Amino acid sequence: MYAIETINLTKKFGDFVANDNISITVNKGEITAIVGENGAGKTTLMNMFFGLQRPTSGELIVDGKKVAFNSSLDAINCGLGMVHQHFKLVPSLTVYENIMLGAEITRKKSPLIDKKVEKKEVQKIIEEYKFELHADDVVENISIGAKQRVEILKMLYRNVDILIFDEPTAVLTPQEVDELLISFKELKNQGKTIILITHKLREVMEVSDQVIVIKRGRIIGSKATKDTDAKEIARMMVGREVVMNVNKEYKDSSKNKTAYSVKNISTKNNSGKKVIEDISFEIKEGEILGVAGVEGNGQSELVKVLSGLMVATEGEVYLYDKNITNKWPDELRSSGVGIVPEDRYAQGLCKDMTIYENMIAGYHSDDKVCKNGIMRRNEIEGLSDGLIEKYDIRVAEKNGNVSQLSGGNAQKIIVAREFDSNPNVLIVSQPTRGVDIGSIEFIHNKILELRNENKAILLVSSELTEIMNLSDRIIVMYKGRIAGEVDGKKATSAQLGLLMAGMAAD
Amino acid sequence: MSLLSSILYDMVYHSAPLILAVLGGLFAHKANVLNIGLEGMMLMGAFSSTLFVFLTGSLWVGILLSVLVTLILGLIFSFFGITMKSNFIITGFGINIFVLALSSFILKYMQMANINVSSIVDVTGLKINIPVIKEIPLLGSLLSGHTVITYLSFILIAVTSIVMYSTKFGVYVRVVGENEEAAKSVGINSTTVKYAAVLIGAALCAFAGANLAVERMALFTNNMTAGRGFIAIAAIYCGQARPLKSSIYAIIFGLAKSLAINLALFAGPISGLFEMVPYLMIVIVLFIVSAVETRHNTIRGFKLE
Amino acid sequence: MKKNDTILKNIFNVVFPVACAFVLGGILIAAIGENPFLTYWVMIQKSLFSVDGLLKTLHFASPLILTGLAIAITFKANIFNMGVEGAAVLGGFFACVVGFTVKGLPTVLHIAVCLLTGIVVGMLFSLIPALLKAYFNVNEMVVTLMMNYVVVEIVKFLSQGVFKDPSSGYVSTYPILDSAMFKKIFNSDLTVFFFIALLVFAVMYVVFKKSKLGYEIKAIGKNPEFSEATGMRVKNKIIIIMLISGAIGGLAGSGFLMSEKYRFTMDFSGSPGLGWDGMLIALLGSHNPVGILIAAIFYAALKTGSEYIGVFTNVPKDIVGVIQGLLILLLSVKFLNERFRFSNKIRFLFKKSSKTDFNK
Repeated sequence: MYAIETINLTKKFGDFVANDNISITVNKGEITAIVGENGAGKTTLMNMFFGLQRPTSGELIVDGKKVAFNSSLDAINCGLGMVHQHFKLVPSLTVYENIMLGAEITRKKSPLIDKKVEKKEVQKIIEEYKFELHADDVVENISIGAKQRVEILKMLYRNVDILIFDEPTAVLTPQEVDELLISFKELKNQGKTIILITHKLREVMEVSDQVIVIKRGRIIGSKATKDTDAKEIARMMVGREVVMNVNKEYKDSSKNKTAYSVKNISTKNNSGKKVIEDISFEIKEGEILGVAGVEGNGQSELVKVLSGLMVATEGEVYLYDKNITNKWPDELRSSGVGIVPEDRYAQGLCKDMTIYENMIAGYHSDDKVCKNGIMRRNEIEGLSDGLIEKYDIRVAEKNGNVSQLSGGNAQKIIVAREFDSNPNVLIVSQPTRGVDIGSIEFIHNKILELRNENKAILLVSSELTEIMNLSDRIIVMYKGRIAGEVDGKKATSAQLGLLMAGMAAD
Repeated sequence: MSLLSSILYDMVYHSAPLILAVLGGLFAHKANVLNIGLEGMMLMGAFSSTLFVFLTGSLWVGILLSVLVTLILGLIFSFFGITMKSNFIITGFGINIFVLALSSFILKYMQMANINVSSIVDVTGLKINIPVIKEIPLLGSLLSGHTVITYLSFILIAVTSIVMYSTKFGVYVRVVGENEEAAKSVGINSTTVKYAAVLIGAALCAFAGANLAVERMALFTNNMTAGRGFIAIAAIYCGQARPLKSSIYAIIFGLAKSLAINLALFAGPISGLFEMVPYLMIVIVLFIVSAVETRHNTIRGFKLE
Repeated sequence: MKKNDTILKNIFNVVFPVACAFVLGGILIAAIGENPFLTYWVMIQKSLFSVDGLLKTLHFASPLILTGLAIAITFKANIFNMGVEGAAVLGGFFACVVGFTVKGLPTVLHIAVCLLTGIVVGMLFSLIPALLKAYFNVNEMVVTLMMNYVVVEIVKFLSQGVFKDPSSGYVSTYPILDSAMFKKIFNSDLTVFFFIALLVFAVMYVVFKKSKLGYEIKAIGKNPEFSEATGMRVKNKIIIIMLISGAIGGLAGSGFLMSEKYRFTMDFSGSPGLGWDGMLIALLGSHNPVGILIAAIFYAALKTGSEYIGVFTNVPKDIVGVIQGLLILLLSVKFLNERFRFSNKIRFLFKKSSKTDFNK
């Protein structure tokens, strides 16, 4: 008997088929990896497993019984638990309150919650699985790795036998990833079935027993891990041979002119706490400076300060010898700083506006698109059409909203807009997050092209491989400070991992 | 009564409907459903309670029916705002304008300028004088001589705190407001929780309206809530939707009203301007609270609320 | 093709609520034992089917076009400025004061000065919430609502005091001088004020549809964080938008006073008030200038027609307010979703389980 079996499971959203006749089996007590590109339909499949979405047609069989989940509660009651990529935790509540959420223990004959008993219960299960956690900590103050452990415990407390992990390593340091993989093996030894959704092949090869590849909503293949290798899986995912590493020639830019320098920048968040402290670096012409670090260590605040969305309380920023400290975004762009912001749909694009309108955003005051306060419609359309062609952006309808585009094509709009404005310096943050492999290659090549045109580029990313593949130099941020600097040519992920975890590299 | 004791008495008097609206509104606020319709719900409470007392001849039957009617209004708001995912700020204003127009429509139809039920409700008889305490100067006027709903409103501050922080329902309301996905992922039905939060608000607004109209004056006049629902929203904002803190702001606004009324007697020709003091004060308090909140702000721009 | 669908969808999203509101209003009329068809017929006939009535409708539409635009420009930027009502009242009041205190000016100049007073007062009034919002992120909705009440108290105080016309039986200021009045054109109700409103409409049409400011307003309304990141200086834009809104609101009030009321009384703005009518009109017109023009005329017709229903039926004219409230309520919902189908939620009402979630 299988832990999970699906028969022709199909999910449609309107005319779009997210999952097309999926038939798979998951063995009990094994680790099954489900791999595929972004948007391949992995998450939809898992949402059906976990009762968050209902199949349009087909059958889902858990432990030999046909099931139809109306909510995630039904799934949990059937022994299925899920650890989401974006944690489903309540930041203002404590660890134990989060774990007990929806399963609160009340005092006898009273509607009041018995916090003491709850805490004891949670402490017990923390010890049982030997997790490093404190029941009393407030969730917003604990590390990302710890949050993930809370999510896992939340499911284990509910006595689930099958655990689904959605992209669990996306936000962890290399060392934390290793720890998580060890936990997987332990959970397996305790008899749990694990489904691992990921696009990172190293993890697949290391822990899984079975690999299922999904592409455009269909199953491409299913193999025992020992019978295959990373290369083959990658080919199945993408449908063609994939160059796993960008071919990049190193050039010595150390003698070039300094294009961009940041001197002792600090800033505070709204509660007055310092979030970045004393950050200094320089970028030469024709150089890519990578910024690595676990998310939440000040990178996003650094980008905000440098792109004019946040005020630096101390320090200065120079573009060549022009002081551009705390300039507003429009001033930065007009003085030659291109910005690819961290959160595509929050800062980079407006989903509910058209592709044309997005294509000029940030440069909409330029004479070529705007005269005497009136927008020049024809020029805007001409300009955008040119960029759509040049950057190979696949759009169904040019006058349609950005919301209709895939992540990769949406990101290319930002890239086209910012790269084509001929900036001296580019601030690029998370350029390929949630983007398909084809677009990743395209964007990486564009970044390298600009470097070869002698632009200075700041690349901030939580994808360590991206940083290592593209950067000439790498700085690592930890707790708002620069923990260390590494030569891009010689950097190893172990070395960077230590810096990311706050341990000095020597 | 001395000036000071009448200021204290009026403070409690004017705070009570505000506190009820605040406590009612903060459940919805915590559940991330901004209820602009508090004003309309309170007006519905005031209007329908007086009307039903007038029609049935019984105070408590009237108030009970009024609660029912206001709950229906709350259901309408919930259906539009939560089930139909409307823009609930607009929905709230729709509720406000609808109730205002409906009440004046019915008044006109009944050919009355206002509804007076003083022949049915004995206002002085409804005041509860607490023995011993009522004799104590100042404290007596603070604590004694108020109506049932007024006392209820102050008791409800404590009850609301307990419900919000120590019961499942309170936890769920906060979780739904803070991270709805988290609630759903463990099987909490967020729609039900939100409906409940709005309906609690509607019921308390009905009491606030009944307190304002029937219980204190045995009278309904057109648009008699005069922005109290919005004042409650301001208090919720200032108090970060915490029961005690928000109620304290409600009491501060009650005090402002009380001062405006009591001091106007001495103001001579400019006494007319004192009416605007409470409203002006809300603007100033909001300004101070926001200025304190944003004092460390380093982030430029605004987020979608 | 798709564009036509969108337009059809938008029309349905307006027509359906309007029909619903009239049906519900009709039920209410029937409930008090009157004939809803007769009532509605009287309203339409008196306001649209006669030349006099139509001109009267256009006359009453003038301030509504303006308040509708004043609300729409802020709502479109997702700023909930409820102060248009206050700006209109304050603008009307001070235009009136200038109208009867400043003497000896030629008509055109006097009218211009009065209108300008209204505009400036409206702008100053809106500047307060604008600055508070822009610099301290104070909730503009609560502030403007509270300031409306402050305005009422101030004008009440002034019109009961220094500016009170002792010859009037109730609280009222002196009437404005002849030189400050908009004259009726050819004995109809229409005045030049209507054409001023049309002029403002034309300017706002360009602002909404063609200008950089219009582009930025749209962006701020849809995503303020994106707008800031792309250099739109949201803070400054909020102040500009609020000033425009206040100016148009003040103009609406002063023009209405000078073309219709001629003196300031406490019921000047009506119930529920010009600013609130403007909110309905902005919503009915989907924040689109042409839509607002149509909606303002439609709603002015209702109001004009409602003056006559008392003559033929026993329905209080407050029925218009009830329909207004219902309309706002119904307009807050988008009944059709992007795919030109009834929104999922409605369909689910007819299915047993509605827990399915589309959070992809």
